[in-house]
Amino acid sequence: MGAVHLAHDVLDAQLVDRVQEKIGRVDALLLEIEAGRPPRVATIVIGGAARAERVGRWFVAIRRAWRAMFGQREEHVSRIPFDKVRRIGDTIELDVEERSLDSEHLERWLKEHVVCRIPGAGGERK
Amino acid sequence: MKKWGEVALGVVTSIGGFLEVGSIATSTQGGAEFGYRLAWVLLLGTLSLGFLMEMTGRLAAVSKRTYADLLRERFGYRFFLLPLVAVFAVSFLVLASEIGGVSIALQMATGISFSWWAIPVALLGWALLWRGTFGIVEKGTALLGLVAIVFAVGALKLHPAWPAVGRGLLPSAPSENRARYWYLAVSILGASISPYLYLFYSAGAIEDEWTIEHLGVNRVTAGLGNLFGGLLSVAALIAAALVLAPRGIRVDRYEQIAMVLASPLGRAGFVLFLATLCITCFGSTLEIVLAIAYMLAQGFGWAWSENLKPGKDARFAMSYTVVLLLAAVPIAIGMNPLALTNVSMVATAASLPVTVIPLLVLMNDGDILLNHTNGWPSNIALVIIALLSVVLLVAALPLQLLGGG
Amino acid sequence: MSARTVSLEDLLGRVVHDVEGRRIGRIEELEAEIELEGDGNEYVVTRFGVGRWGPFDAIASGLFVQQLVRRITRATSYVRYSIPWDRMDLTDPERPRVTCAERELARSGDG
Repeated sequence: MGAVHLAHDVLDAQLVDRVQEKIGRVDALLLEIEAGRPPRVATIVIGGAARAERVGRWFVAIRRAWRAMFGQREEHVSRIPFDKVRRIGDTIELDVEERSLDSEHLERWLKEHVVCRIPGAGGERK
Repeated sequence: MKKWGEVALGVVTSIGGFLEVGSIATSTQGGAEFGYRLAWVLLLGTLSLGFLMEMTGRLAAVSKRTYADLLRERFGYRFFLLPLVAVFAVSFLVLASEIGGVSIALQMATGISFSWWAIPVALLGWALLWRGTFGIVEKGTALLGLVAIVFAVGALKLHPAWPAVGRGLLPSAPSENRARYWYLAVSILGASISPYLYLFYSAGAIEDEWTIEHLGVNRVTAGLGNLFGGLLSVAALIAAALVLAPRGIRVDRYEQIAMVLASPLGRAGFVLFLATLCITCFGSTLEIVLAIAYMLAQGFGWAWSENLKPGKDARFAMSYTVVLLLAAVPIAIGMNPLALTNVSMVATAASLPVTVIPLLVLMNDGDILLNHTNGWPSNIALVIIALLSVVLLVAALPLQLLGGG
Repeated sequence: MSARTVSLEDLLGRVVHDVEGRRIGRIEELEAEIELEGDGNEYVVTRFGVGRWGPFDAIASGLFVQQLVRRITRATSYVRYSIPWDRMDLTDPERPRVTCAERELARSGDG
């Protein structure tokens, strides 16, 4: 098994779940550093808060203010242990279910409260 | 056999897709004010777009990812925000202009003021996206968009002096009204080379499940489709040069553009002009809003496809819903459709660097394109287009101030 | 010994110095491999890719600029080191240090 290039192949890669459905991108990757041991690739983070942090503190502040306008205070971020990675290729397959991901909260909320209230939205493929 | 069907469809889509409110408005304004002399700019824009579309199509067919996907994956989230914001802002303006185009056509057909049409047009577009598949959107607008051929018919009926047209296809600079000339040149380029076009094309290649086997189809579609589309724009320019220029009519309203076809073709020309304006702008409306939604979904990693029911890609579906309805607002509150179009074309031209320059990196990346990276002709074309995009960025604002009607 | 958590993004682009205080470049990549002990599905970082662009190094911290410059200029002054994890001292993640002198580092083939 070859080496995985974290910046090139993992960060910002498309993530898919057990059934090959898209569940976001690797918005951040957390490493655990302990002296005397190689750094461990610990956690994949998915979520708007993680993305905002990459831009800068000013962006995080603006984002917080914008969300506060809509009464959104809770962050919906998923932290997935890296050992859930099944395969790294064009996409990264994770051994998780979309249902269990907090980062998919907006998708579920929109589906339930908006999309499915409009006719013609349900079912699989058109 | 199926491949050739796809080629034909692709070519037809590009023809209809090329002519929309921006190219109709800028080509006819160019023809009305400078005769054939801006034809070379249309040629330059058409060739540039052809190269860019072939490249983003190739990216999708080989790497199985769209251009927007690769912008995020290869350059990171922070960089991705640049093209995202630029494309969103500029495409939103063009989207509002297209809705304006349909609305004006309906005003001319019914007498009911254009601002009343904005929301119904947006709702109809939304309904088609909500219920339709990618194939329906693509094929429907393609076939109906063929009505744009009326511009070619009109131009031919006016018997242009072909040698003079030929001279117009060679680059030239005017001795007077320089600011206005170059301003129109910039807007023509903005109408021809629109980022939403090659972004949508890239996403469309994935929707249609293109593979390496489709690289030939890709080349023909991008090349021929844009060539024919460009010819229609040149036809519009020629018709305007022969109908409006001799009368000294500068285009201020879409009604004057109608004259361009009404003069050679009479009442039929007028009706077909309205049909063309209506249909091509409506098709572009769908294309642009999808391009915006695709870029958001692909950049953030959401589920997306026009072939999925909205319940399966809620964020994607809500993106095109919200953007489409918001884009109806400028026209609904009565903004001048032609003025909006002109501004959006120059803004588009200025925004090009952020979506052209990254291709210099991606198209030469063997990890992504395997052994289908750019050959030297494509790279030379790309460098020229990239330099052109920087010139446009620098020149856009000064020219808008000095030459904008 | 406590473990610290660091975001990958915070490490990428950081300037790396050697024991003699010489600036040797910026962290461009981290290579990870599966560690065979334990469950056998833990990835650990085995090497750091550190690159120096010569005159461009001051501005080349962004991924985009790096890649663009790399494509356009076959910058002969580009140097790339592949540093094993045990030679990278990350006790201060904002100031990574190599535990030897620059001359002892192996240059990597890629560029």
